Amino acid sequence: MHQTLSKNSLAVLMALGLALAATGCSTSVKRMEASEVKDLSGAWNDTDSQQVSEEMIKDVLDRTWLGEFSRTQSRQPAVIVGEVSNLSHEHINVNTFVSDMERALINSDKVQFVASSTERQEIRGERKDQDLNASEASRKAMGQEKGADFMLKGTINTIIDASGNTQLRYYQVDLTLISLADNRKVWVGQKKIKKLVERSNLRF
Amino acid sequence: MNTGQLIVASRIGLLLGAFALASTLTGCATYSESFGSIERNLSAHQYDAALKDIEKQSGSKTDRVLYLLNKGMVLRMKRDFAGSNQMLEAAKAEMEKLYAASVSENTLSFIVNDATVSYAGDDYEQVLVHLYMAFNYLELGQPNDARVEALQVDIKLREIGEKISGDKFTEDALSRYLTGLVYEELGEWSDAMIAYRKAYEAYQKYSVNFGVPIPDMLKHDLLRLAQREGLTDEAAIYSKEFGIALAQEGSLAPEQEGELVFVLNNGLAPIKREKAAGLWVPPPTVAMHATRSQKQTMPVMVNIALPYYESRPNKVLSARVSVSGKQASTQMMENIDAIARASLDSHMPAITARSIARAVAKGVIQESVDRAGNRKNDPAVELIGSLFVRVAAIATERADTRSWLTLPANVQLARLSVPPGSYTVTVDLLGAGERVIASREYPGVVISKKHKTYLTQHWVAN
Repeated sequence: MHQTLSKNSLAVLMALGLALAATGCSTSVKRMEASEVKDLSGAWNDTDSQQVSEEMIKDVLDRTWLGEFSRTQSRQPAVIVGEVSNLSHEHINVNTFVSDMERALINSDKVQFVASSTERQEIRGERKDQDLNASEASRKAMGQEKGADFMLKGTINTIIDASGNTQLRYYQVDLTLISLADNRKVWVGQKKIKKLVERSNLRF
Repeated sequence: MNTGQLIVASRIGLLLGAFALASTLTGCATYSESFGSIERNLSAHQYDAALKDIEKQSGSKTDRVLYLLNKGMVLRMKRDFAGSNQMLEAAKAEMEKLYAASVSENTLSFIVNDATVSYAGDDYEQVLVHLYMAFNYLELGQPNDARVEALQVDIKLREIGEKISGDKFTEDALSRYLTGLVYEELGEWSDAMIAYRKAYEAYQKYSVNFGVPIPDMLKHDLLRLAQREGLTDEAAIYSKEFGIALAQEGSLAPEQEGELVFVLNNGLAPIKREKAAGLWVPPPTVAMHATRSQKQTMPVMVNIALPYYESRPNKVLSARVSVSGKQASTQMMENIDAIARASLDSHMPAITARSIARAVAKGVIQESVDRAGNRKNDPAVELIGSLFVRVAAIATERADTRSWLTLPANVQLARLSVPPGSYTVTVDLLGAGERVIASREYPGVVISKKHKTYLTQHWVAN
């Protein structure tokens, strides 16, 4: 009786000692390839953003609107990025895939981009400043801006279904290219992402 | 291992254990006791000094969520809404991490006390993080981000509702109402209607459980939106129920005006205190085998410490907002004081059970140390060991008094529609009998057409 009691309490106390010892670990950093997939919390992450931009870029350059515009207007279309509104349940940074798309479209040499409305404000401020301070030869005149032919707009939506520790997350990104001349939607791109997130019940 | 070695080994183990217990004595004060100076600084509006005090708690691993929540709350009192959101977002991430129960922490809590377990926030606290982040985004003029928080509240409330428990708190009425306001602002009428309906259901429960009646503004919103959406039957029901006449066709809402939404975070949430009772009882094995004659045994110390809530005094009962000659009084929207109390009540059986189990475990440890001393036949070792382990047992038994203390006691709201322009908003804080206790002025509040401008104030009593 005496011994079993002691053994029991010894075991408990050893567990306690272990628990106390399990503190303090140093920070470690490991470099990764930007394309490597690493899911941590199940929230929207870099991989999702990359998948969306890849899919959208491939689609937007393959479609007929580009060829049709070049044929009828015999020049490259100019596109402006409008608002991509986040209707999802997460604070998602849309700039990453929007700028990925912008870069791919510009580098394809088939599309031109004009600065967005916030960027334009800054540039106009600079032109105003040039008007006062820059030399006559290098000064850029006002009213020479290039108007856009199409506006890129979009939404991110999510549907969440959860039960207990399991959560199903469904993301849908829709991007639309709208003709500024006649409000025609010339291209609609869509990317769906579905994730099953299982939360653990226990940690050490 | 022979018997002698075993005894020596177990004695060393027991002493180590006693030391481990004693090492936790250093943080002897309970969590809520360390809050006094923060509270004094808050009521003197010394937010930087309060932040400095809060920073002292940044090292604690188990209280990290509370550190982030408190910092986020004080930053928003300082009107640093972006900084506040950073902290609250970090608190959310930390809560998510603590969703999984820790094996080591819970084992330790079985011997030491409940406060050794990382604090993940009570259900209502986990919901209110989203509410305050939404308020921050609204005051920053980012309704789209407030919408994100609204959706997260929905997910969180579904998660809470799924748990089968005796909780009275399964719906958060104010969060639902604010969600409705955000949707309406963004022109999503049907979603706004659903949110208002859910708020209405939640307020029906609130009026029973927490003494908060259905706010008049919600009644008008329900009626107005039901009419707007062409839900004539529903509108007729609301009209009859609330005694408000249906609006005539074409006279709906002065569309050219903007609106000021004033939010009063009144006072501070209740604080948990500790009540403890100690008792000398016979050791557990003697108690279990009462008939067996034993040589004289030392009684063991059984100490039980339980938390209870204490409301914090506050003279301010409501507020009156004035903008360019128009006035509106705030209405009670959320009684956090009552919600917190109800929540503790529902957790109390579990807390008590754990405390009793712990008392038994500590009794067993005390008895084991006595026996180890007995076997050595060394009265000095026996006495020192036995006393030591008893002191440790008393000192480590502390109630878990942790809670989000910078929350207000209640949240009140006033809405005023005014023509677009820049205004000086005057807020009078009213005590009993509408007596003005203090006044605040907010110059340069911009109201724009068809939009809501949010202004929040947290009033901490002196």
